[in-house]
Amino acid sequence: MPRLLSSLSFRLALSYAGLFVGSLLLLFGGYYLVAIRQPIEATKVRVQREVEALTALYERRGSAALVARLQRRARLAETPKTFHAFINQGGRVVSANLPSWPAWSERRWLWLEADIFADGNEIDFDSLTLDHRFPDGARLLVGRDLNVVRERQLMMLSSGLAVIGGAVAIGLIVGLLMSRAIGRRIDRLADTARTVMAGDMATRVSVDGSGDEFDHLAQTLNAMLDRIEDSFESVRRVSDSVAHELRTPLARLQANLEDAGGGDGAQIGPVQDALAEADRLRAIFDAVMRISRIETGSLQAAMVEVDLSALLDDVADFYQPEAEAKRLVLSTFIQSGLSLRCDRNLLFQAIANLLDNALKYTPAPGEVVLSGRSGRSGTVISVQDTGPGVPAEALPRLTERFYRSDKRQEGLGLGLAFVAATARLHRSEISFHNDDGGFRVEWLLRHGGGPSRPGLTENRKTN
Amino acid sequence: MHILVVEDDKRVADHVARGLRESGHMVEIVDDGRTGLLRAVAEQFDLIVLDRMLPEMDGLKLLAVLRGTGDATPVMILSALGDVDERIRGLKAGGDDYLPKPFALSELVARVEVLGRRAPTLSEATELCCGDLAIDLLGHSVTRAGRKIDITQREFRILEYLVRNAGRVVTRSMLLEHVWDYSFDPQTNIIDQHVSRLRQKLDRDFEHSVIETVRGTGYVVRTG
Repeated sequence: MPRLLSSLSFRLALSYAGLFVGSLLLLFGGYYLVAIRQPIEATKVRVQREVEALTALYERRGSAALVARLQRRARLAETPKTFHAFINQGGRVVSANLPSWPAWSERRWLWLEADIFADGNEIDFDSLTLDHRFPDGARLLVGRDLNVVRERQLMMLSSGLAVIGGAVAIGLIVGLLMSRAIGRRIDRLADTARTVMAGDMATRVSVDGSGDEFDHLAQTLNAMLDRIEDSFESVRRVSDSVAHELRTPLARLQANLEDAGGGDGAQIGPVQDALAEADRLRAIFDAVMRISRIETGSLQAAMVEVDLSALLDDVADFYQPEAEAKRLVLSTFIQSGLSLRCDRNLLFQAIANLLDNALKYTPAPGEVVLSGRSGRSGTVISVQDTGPGVPAEALPRLTERFYRSDKRQEGLGLGLAFVAATARLHRSEISFHNDDGGFRVEWLLRHGGGPSRPGLTENRKTN
Repeated sequence: MHILVVEDDKRVADHVARGLRESGHMVEIVDDGRTGLLRAVAEQFDLIVLDRMLPEMDGLKLLAVLRGTGDATPVMILSALGDVDERIRGLKAGGDDYLPKPFALSELVARVEVLGRRAPTLSEATELCCGDLAIDLLGHSVTRAGRKIDITQREFRILEYLVRNAGRVVTRSMLLEHVWDYSFDPQTNIIDQHVSRLRQKLDRDFEHSVIETVRGTGYVVRTG
């Protein structure tokens, strides 16, 4: 319900229904004033005057004169038809052509039914009656027929309610249908936007050819996506050619250095240093390129269902000798049967980077713990060490490219940038904590968080 | 071996050719894709070293056409597009191995040797022998001079790969690809540590070392 109320089209439909009901009320109100209210008021004035005259007569000449006047009034074939009843102070009905009246009433004006049978037919009369009491206790009821108006009034009341109720119901139903129809088309736009955000640049909004506003919007969006895809594509082409243009001279440099060193791995000192430097250049270059490719979505991740428990065991197993060489304990707490939709090569490299960091920064004797478990909101991978941690001001900068909190340690400053890019690609969250006596990285991969790209999963396999 | 090198960068081509000739191979160089395809079809080479980006005809296109003719000559792809992504694309197009530029010549030579001498019947053997070392592939056990040696499953796979390629140099990245089955770049010497642990277990109480280190390149198990 809140979602319905927050829907713009439904709110529009509601206000439309409100406007409709409002104008109906105005219409009924006008009709009521002209066709009901006015004749009633006119009759009231007329009856009031009659009562005033009759009262004067009664006070001046007594009840006999009043009765004579009333009877004469009743005999006149005047329209609207006249009605009266006179009850003297003793409670006796002296004269009346009203069939009945209430014995006691608080209201001055009464509607009294006064149907008359004439020639076997019933004629409906409704007398608008003034209930007047004389100071001596006698009671005088004087009225005139307003049956037509009375019927109008009753009819308007019942039909008015039905019409307004119907209008509200129709307004609501139409509003619901409209908001559904519009909502579906907006959802289509949002779905496309989400798919594109997940990295599939080729998706477009479907255009149904109706030429309406949504079709125009879809066409505009598609044109925008074309532009964005073009610029992405050109960035990719540029970085591909930069990669090519840089790698080739680097390859020559490496070749020349190998030739200068005499080959066969028996290089002399400076040449070997230069070779190592060339290799380092290539490594930086590769790492930067890989991160950009993950971030621009041009590296097409091979998302498959992966046995995460086995993968974590593999990473730990890979780093076990390194830990032993550094006299550190590398232990694992890995829940069995963990499964995750991810790119296994990227995930392996990312977790390897985390372990590599932990082993690098933890002094011996110490411990590094790799754990994986399934929590309520998703799968949590964490790497905890007994190292000195990271200065608080460095925490938010850890995933920046080329950022190194400890400049004395060698490294490219790209490891965590890679991890962060991989985490983003998997729509997961990574956080860094300085715990008591150690540093902890926690990676939360939510259930169903990975971008699903079935077209790519089917025809791509990791090797 | 008779090797065709299809590479448009003359210096890289000469460098590769010299390295391969020094290892005792016959090398022919072609500098564009179309000619490369014609030569590959016209003559039966033992191996083709193919650059990914070529004038006239793209490397992958050449490969696809070649494989389309039913030619199964082993192909090693060289590429300046050094991504895991590119690698998968190259292997899927029918390449047998993939080496990103820049590469060390020794790496290329090691891979070419292993690729060119891939023996098709090797997988049917149940036991591999090399000197005094015997590997039981079914029982996953290793004996040296009749003495049983306890090694982990991972170490077993390292040893198996080295022995299968006995006499040929195996580089660190080749080990990573075949033993760990992940494509990634550890940028550390962790492979060395795995090998050195394996070596300690194999060589305890023996004078002669089974696995030799080839400096700057990788490892080799000698046949003799």
